Amino acid sequence: MIAEDSVLLREGLARVLGESGFEVVAQVGDATELRRAVRRTKPDVAIVDVRMPPTQTDEGAQAAKEIRAEHPEVAVLVLSNVVEARVALELFSERPEGFGYLLKDRVLEIDDFLESVRRVAGGGTAIDPDVVIQLVGRRRVHDPLEELTPREREVLGLMAEGRSNRGICEKLFVSPKTVETHVNSIFLKLDLAPAPDDHRRVLAVLAFLRS
Amino acid sequence: MCDDPRVSVTGWIVDTPTKPARLAIALAGLGLGVIAYRVQIDNLNILGPFTTPTRAWAIVAVAWAFLFAGLVAWTRRPGNLVGPLMLAAGFALLLRQLRYSHDPLLFTVFFVLGELAYALVGHSVLAYPSGRVTDRAERALVKVGYATVLTVPLVTLFFYDASKPLLFFDPTPRQSELLVSGSAQMVELLQKGLVIWLYGVLATLFIVLILRRLASATPRARRMLAPLLLAAIAIALRAVFECVFTFVDRPFAYDYVFWWQIVGFIALPLALMAGLVRARLAQATVGDLVLELETTQPHGIRDALARALGDPTLEVAFWLPERREFADSAGRPVELPEGGRRAVTKLDQDGEPVAALIHDPSLLDEPELVRAAGAAARLALQNARLQAEMRAQLQKVQESRGRIVAAADEERRRIERDLHDGAQQRLVALALQLRLAQRRPGEHADPEVDRLLEAAVDELQAAVNELRELARGVHPAILTEEGLAAALDSLASRSPLPVSLEVLDARLPPEVEATAYFVACEALANVVKHAEASKAAISAWRQNGSLMIEVEDDGIGGARTEDGSGLRGLTDRVEALGGRLTIQSPVGGGTRLVGEIPCAS
Repeated sequence: MIAEDSVLLREGLARVLGESGFEVVAQVGDATELRRAVRRTKPDVAIVDVRMPPTQTDEGAQAAKEIRAEHPEVAVLVLSNVVEARVALELFSERPEGFGYLLKDRVLEIDDFLESVRRVAGGGTAIDPDVVIQLVGRRRVHDPLEELTPREREVLGLMAEGRSNRGICEKLFVSPKTVETHVNSIFLKLDLAPAPDDHRRVLAVLAFLRS
Repeated sequence: MCDDPRVSVTGWIVDTPTKPARLAIALAGLGLGVIAYRVQIDNLNILGPFTTPTRAWAIVAVAWAFLFAGLVAWTRRPGNLVGPLMLAAGFALLLRQLRYSHDPLLFTVFFVLGELAYALVGHSVLAYPSGRVTDRAERALVKVGYATVLTVPLVTLFFYDASKPLLFFDPTPRQSELLVSGSAQMVELLQKGLVIWLYGVLATLFIVLILRRLASATPRARRMLAPLLLAAIAIALRAVFECVFTFVDRPFAYDYVFWWQIVGFIALPLALMAGLVRARLAQATVGDLVLELETTQPHGIRDALARALGDPTLEVAFWLPERREFADSAGRPVELPEGGRRAVTKLDQDGEPVAALIHDPSLLDEPELVRAAGAAARLALQNARLQAEMRAQLQKVQESRGRIVAAADEERRRIERDLHDGAQQRLVALALQLRLAQRRPGEHADPEVDRLLEAAVDELQAAVNELRELARGVHPAILTEEGLAAALDSLASRSPLPVSLEVLDARLPPEVEATAYFVACEALANVVKHAEASKAAISAWRQNGSLMIEVEDDGIGGARTEDGSGLRGLTDRVEALGGRLTIQSPVGGGTRLVGEIPCAS
């Protein structure tokens, strides 16, 4: 389902999703309708604009938080005109499963966007590259990231976005074996405990970057 | 000060008597005193001892006391009618004795005018201390008193044919020049009637009015009015003396009461004089005031004036010509009281008000004192008024500066929202439409069109990114939504320098948050551009009701507020909210910029 106050964008999104095999069960224009629609239709994914009427501030984000708390089975993909690392971390809190936070214009890279929707719907995570840049790119006085090779940093960023090893392979056009080597090296250099699954991995990476 | 021509009393100007005039008055008084003594002794004791020399002298002494007090008061308080009134009363008391003369003309004239002395005594007491009788009841009493003493003795002489002795006269006959038809009964009726009316009724009213005045006076006025109490006692003694001994023939108490009322009547003019001179001494403190004001700060003027006028309740209101109203020294409007327990004296210069003194109403009795003090303080007051005016304007300017900042912030927020929710949103929607067109399967799959659409989407994407950066510069959304800590965190995460943060996590008034944010933003931009620093630190904390924002770097230092319009503008902005921006930047020692922004919450 889609919650977005711009009709043009909402319908564009619905078409993109519809044409790609998704079923759009509801389209709403404000946060109140969104809550009602989620309760009624229990969708696999709710795509939510942060700013919506009536106050045009962050009722979308508030509604997203509530949905995640009340309906853990509903995955939430939050779209925003601006992304802030702090807001991302707050929204996703300690539960990266079934959560996405993307810049609105990411929908223009349709294939990437659809991949993110599928990932979130499947219980995965999608964090906007801009957020990751803010976290990874942040300069620190004693920066442990300095020890990473440029390629390893790239892999770290993709992990932080929530991509799986397979996703990283496709993005970087390298073999799964190479990716695995990079991931192990990163965990070793950053002194992180190896994570059993992708969710834990996102959490560990983001927790590291946030500190 | 003393010869201030504006000081006028009931329309006439009473000048200081010149020295020869004073001498002439004194000599006349002395001479007349001796004559009055002789007239009594020579005329009252013809048939035996009616009076004694001591008593005759005592009566003269009362008159001399009035003359002396009147002369001193007139000299020291020119412009105050009490002095001249006492002087007149003194002469009248001496001339009164001429009625005992056996010369028909002298007898007739001074019998008719004799009681005038007591009307003048009463008048001078009621005119104390201002020189004017202002109270309506008191005015009426004075008028009735004059009317009585000028008519009743006159009428008495129409009937006096020497068939029976007059009251308070020795038994020898006198000759009335005004005799119309002799009637001893009428004479007795009129004389006793006069005593009862004058000393019974009017004297009682007189005492009542004095006690009323004392009762309603403020403590300051009561000190000033103390001589009136003595007057009440003296008049009461006199009244008892006259009334009792008109109807009772010389009992043993006669002597006793006679001497007491003499003492009372000698003390009375001296007390009035002392009261007036003491008020004059208060005016002498005006001289000190002039000296004191030279070194007094404007806010101390009130205290200096209050001391000089002996009125601790005094308030000073300054005239603000621009606002056409009175204001206190802090620039707050002041409503001048009308009547009641407070009185107002306005001080003018060239017809334009300078200030108003709000004071104890008793000071109205000493207009010269208030005016003199006001004149002394005028320059200082004008200075203070200008300061009050300036402060009032400054306050207005300060308020409007604050409003301008808030309005500008609001406008920035609105622009930011419009950019995101309007233009950016539309561009994204439009780009999405193009993408959909691009993806339409089938016959339209022209590679040229596809290339064009791709380029268009890329352009739109670039435009969206530019808009986003523009909006962030105008007013970051995160500042509105998440507050200062989040906005500074975002700022730090985008900085090419490592920036450590220590920022209080609390929401503050939007203009305070925005100002602190822009201070940090500009300072950090300067650090990146000029400081050649390896790291920076931003701290924000609350201290004494202000938000403190500090940006520190380890760069080359040497920065100044005057450098670059960015910091200058920020200084203005911080000052508009009543805060301060300070910069410490020793060459080679890094730069530390501290903003202090008052915040109420």
